[in-house]
Amino acid sequence: MNENYPRENLTRKHVLRRLLRYTAPHKKQLLFAFIILILATGADVLGPIVAKIFIDDFLTPRRFDGQPLTLLAVSFVCLYVFTALFHYLQLINFQKVALKIIQQLRVDVFNKVQHLGLSFFDKTPGGSLISRITNDTEAIKELFVTVLSTIVQSTVFLIGIFIGMFALNVKLAAYCLIILPVLFVLMYLYRRVSSVIFRVTREKLSQLNARLNESLQGMAIIQAMRQEKRLRKEFDHINTEHRDASLKNIKLNSLLLRPAVQLIYVLGIVLVLSYFGIQSFHLSVSIGVIFAFVNYLDRFFEPVNSMMQQLMNFQQATVSAERVFGLLDETELAPTQEGQSAHRISAGNIEFKNVSFSYDGKTEVLKNINFTARPGETVALVGHTGSGKSSIINLLMRFYPIEKGDILIDGKSLKTFSDQELRAKVGLVLQDPFIFAGDVKSNIRLNNASISDEAIKTSAQFVQADRFIAKLPKGYDEPIGERGSTFSSGQRQLLSFARTMAIDPKILVLDEATANVDTETEEAIQTALEKMRKGRTTIAIAHRLSTIQDADQILVLHHGEIVERGNHQELLSQKGLYHKMYLLQQGEAEVTA
Amino acid sequence: MKLFLDMFWYFKQEKWRYIFGIILLMCSSLMSMVPPYVVGIIVDAIRTHTLTSAALIKWMSLLVASGLAAYGFGYGWRMYIFGSSMHLAKLLRDRLYKHFTTMTAGFFGRRRIGDLMAHATNDIRAVQEAAGDGILMLVDSLTMGAMVIVSMSVIIDWRLTIIALLPMPIMAWAVNYYGSLLHKNFHKAQAAFSELNDRVQENISGVRVIKAFGQEDAEKENFRQQSEDVVNKNIKVAKIDALFDPTITFIVGLSYFLTLLFGAIFVVHHSITIGELTSFTLYLGQLVWPMLAFGILFNIVERGRASYDRIQALLKIKPEITDQPEALEAIPTGDVHYAIHTFSYGESNASVLEAIDFTIKQGETIGIVGKTGSGKSTLIKLLLREMDCHDGDILIGGTSIYRYTMHSLRSAIGYVPQDHFLFSASVAENIAFAKPEASREEIIRAARLAHIHEDILNFKEGYETVVGERGVTMSGGQKQRISIARALLMNPEILILDDSLSAVDARTEEAILHSLRHNRENKTTFITAHRLSAIQHADLIIVLEDGKIVERGTHATLMTDDKWYATMYRRQQLESFVAQGGMSS
Repeated sequence: MNENYPRENLTRKHVLRRLLRYTAPHKKQLLFAFIILILATGADVLGPIVAKIFIDDFLTPRRFDGQPLTLLAVSFVCLYVFTALFHYLQLINFQKVALKIIQQLRVDVFNKVQHLGLSFFDKTPGGSLISRITNDTEAIKELFVTVLSTIVQSTVFLIGIFIGMFALNVKLAAYCLIILPVLFVLMYLYRRVSSVIFRVTREKLSQLNARLNESLQGMAIIQAMRQEKRLRKEFDHINTEHRDASLKNIKLNSLLLRPAVQLIYVLGIVLVLSYFGIQSFHLSVSIGVIFAFVNYLDRFFEPVNSMMQQLMNFQQATVSAERVFGLLDETELAPTQEGQSAHRISAGNIEFKNVSFSYDGKTEVLKNINFTARPGETVALVGHTGSGKSSIINLLMRFYPIEKGDILIDGKSLKTFSDQELRAKVGLVLQDPFIFAGDVKSNIRLNNASISDEAIKTSAQFVQADRFIAKLPKGYDEPIGERGSTFSSGQRQLLSFARTMAIDPKILVLDEATANVDTETEEAIQTALEKMRKGRTTIAIAHRLSTIQDADQILVLHHGEIVERGNHQELLSQKGLYHKMYLLQQGEAEVTA
Repeated sequence: MKLFLDMFWYFKQEKWRYIFGIILLMCSSLMSMVPPYVVGIIVDAIRTHTLTSAALIKWMSLLVASGLAAYGFGYGWRMYIFGSSMHLAKLLRDRLYKHFTTMTAGFFGRRRIGDLMAHATNDIRAVQEAAGDGILMLVDSLTMGAMVIVSMSVIIDWRLTIIALLPMPIMAWAVNYYGSLLHKNFHKAQAAFSELNDRVQENISGVRVIKAFGQEDAEKENFRQQSEDVVNKNIKVAKIDALFDPTITFIVGLSYFLTLLFGAIFVVHHSITIGELTSFTLYLGQLVWPMLAFGILFNIVERGRASYDRIQALLKIKPEITDQPEALEAIPTGDVHYAIHTFSYGESNASVLEAIDFTIKQGETIGIVGKTGSGKSTLIKLLLREMDCHDGDILIGGTSIYRYTMHSLRSAIGYVPQDHFLFSASVAENIAFAKPEASREEIIRAARLAHIHEDILNFKEGYETVVGERGVTMSGGQKQRISIARALLMNPEILILDDSLSAVDARTEEAILHSLRHNRENKTTFITAHRLSAIQHADLIIVLEDGKIVERGTHATLMTDDKWYATMYRRQQLESFVAQGGMSS
């Protein structure tokens, strides 16, 4: 995968520490799980010891007293029942905590993203952002759910086995400790070599997929230019490289994983047998102890195998964690209230004072914009694509921070209003009405609990959306699929009008749609717009000049500057740019330029 | 298991690898029979005080030798069996890729690239697993299981074997049962996860609305709840997943218990020795894996089967457009004559083109205009044989294009498509795409003709600058001009510009058209465009509407006709005037 998204370079150690910090709220549950784990391990480890007692105290001397023997048999079975039960409980508890931790991490990233500025969204592809929140956290889930819990469980189990061994025979158990450094060396070796090979394999795989994806996209060109053979050869080349890298991976796993661990197991058996064998030359040896030791060794290596297998996943998870923390550390926040003032928007007077703006800090898209919209007035913005209309709206909505100049609402700087006040009093109608999955009601109300069902109906009636809603089988409860694709674009627009009217804003910001809608809906839209503007200060981007002929003020923008201003009649009589645009839309072709 | 029959062609092709692999796998299993056996002997020798140092050395050496041999065998079979599965994956991937290159536009129109990618990645991986892990588990569960059971009953005692094995089928059953239970719940968890994904997607796409209505906190709360749902469903999965290990522990424990109980009775009756009882318990431990493998085997094969079928179904699709028998190898040249009665996508659909009849002389330029969806691109694609016309013909130099091989036909055509697609390679490689052996001089010449040379020199690494995500971000106009250079480098008999000047400014457009006129003597050029300035100098202009030619002529005659073309032309003049901020152009 290509990662264009700039991320902080966090060291791996740092990442792990930050991840572990997420366990803090779950200390109690973790402790509980850990205690159960120790109980389970204890019961597990006791099994061979009971077997040893049976062999040494009953079987070898052929002494089968009924009661103690029954007791032993019962306790043997009970041990296995407990082991199974405790293991089940500890597994579930660890998993629950791990899943909760991931949920918290996910919620944290999501919450963070909610407060990032639009400038951040502009330069970050949506896909990569989504994958931070879901896929990367999912990869980290593996770390907690599988990797860390396997390591903890296996470590405890190994310690348990050693305790059992020491209880049986201190000297031999001490000898067996030698297995540990051998295993550590093996793990260290594996990790070192595998990290390189693993990375190469993954790189090759992503190259392979990228090439395939690209070829599928550009197949028309490949075929038109007769390059099929060459690209097949090139693909085969990458494919071969990927296979060879994978083969190396298999080779490494075969050399250092299971077969190697199996060999160490056999050597362990040799150690134990030799020890007892040599001892038996001049001492008597407990058969039960040999039995128990051999059985311990038999079970010693399964956890070792699982731990080694998890080492690979560990790396994948840390890469994901680096990305997630990179996003959590993002500093490009959305502009918000400066200071604590409780200013209210009451009249709705808007003033742009010497506003200049640039998205990238280089090219100015707005140059020294000045205008005033008095309460209840409509100011229309017209101009070609890229003239700066949308930027004016973006600044007024406080989507981007104002760098030069200021916007005043009712005489107070836009920066001083609280988010709540601003969002409640300034209503935006977007060109592309975004419809959420849910139902009609929830799309009008959004998540604003203070809007009653009555209010929803009133606002739908107000914008004449009630007519088409009434025709829906379930009316206001009609479910809406993703993006509202079952509705026409006109209907979607009416819905978004109702949504804005439901909050009854003082100021209306309109981004008129260019999309063609059927005449009936178009009429409804125009009537609705007219009604909505009444009594509200309105800033409107107009694509169709016919809809803004009654605007109090029309600003003609070109390259970020206001080049003409006035009402419809004044502008027409100027015979300037507005005049030409008007003619163009009237379908009048004859113009002498 | 039918999957293994279906894949038999591959096992046959790689029979030596598989035969060696399986033999080594069996040898490796055999080696693991040694330690329990030796343990039994030593224990008995110690118990009866008959162990000599010579015997101890002998047996220990045997153990070490068996361990080393097992290591070698274990390495060997993995390389053979897993290695072969890798080769298979590569083979299938190459086949799919090759197959994709023979598929036509219709095929790609019907399928999403994401789905095709999934076949080439996930499905191949599932087949690879079946050919690797699947074979391993099949062989291992059968041979290893058999070996252990035989060792137990022959070396030790068959009655004890039967008793000890009694609980084992429960394990195989439980593993299988949990497996299907897990599968069901796992799907639910996956569904919840993808719902979460959709929600995030919606949130990111609707960011403006969310911010404008101050919905951030509500969105956070929604997300928290939904992620809680994901957690709960995952906990359900975990609850089943956590059943596996304890169940196995318990059932194996039960077997141990039975073994010790009845083994003790046998020891008392002198049927077996304590040493034999010890090795018996070790053998018992070795039965766990074959039982597990048997349970997992079915899952792997099932998944592999479904994936293999999907891949085969894809490979079976025949290319829609192929060379006629004994097609001409010569490169077509001469006048281009379109004589199409009707053309439609598919039998039942409405016709996209109707009564298209015109001739364009060699060396002339034809301009094709009309609204979106009027049939301009279809007209072009028929010439490229992206699809075939069955009611009508296109002739070059008097010979039907269907009589040529596709290779020779396409050699004559330099095509610049609407969506200027560039490959992630250097600028030079992109320009030389159709002729990888082209010299740097040729590349620069083509770049100059397309008026992109200066832009390229301004890139950080000039002609070596990498295009695409990792490299330089180019404007649409720059990409278009590189695609034009790519087609010009072929110096084709016929050049097609399919609305490929839309993103360059008027001056550059004029300059490119100028250089085309002066450098393509005797070569034919097709231009489709929305902006009429791109075709106003063409020798022939045709206007399409709903797939029919409604106007034809030169710019001058069409302006006098004063129909759609003339109206559109004047309108665009005004538009460009407005776009330039009212300055006269």
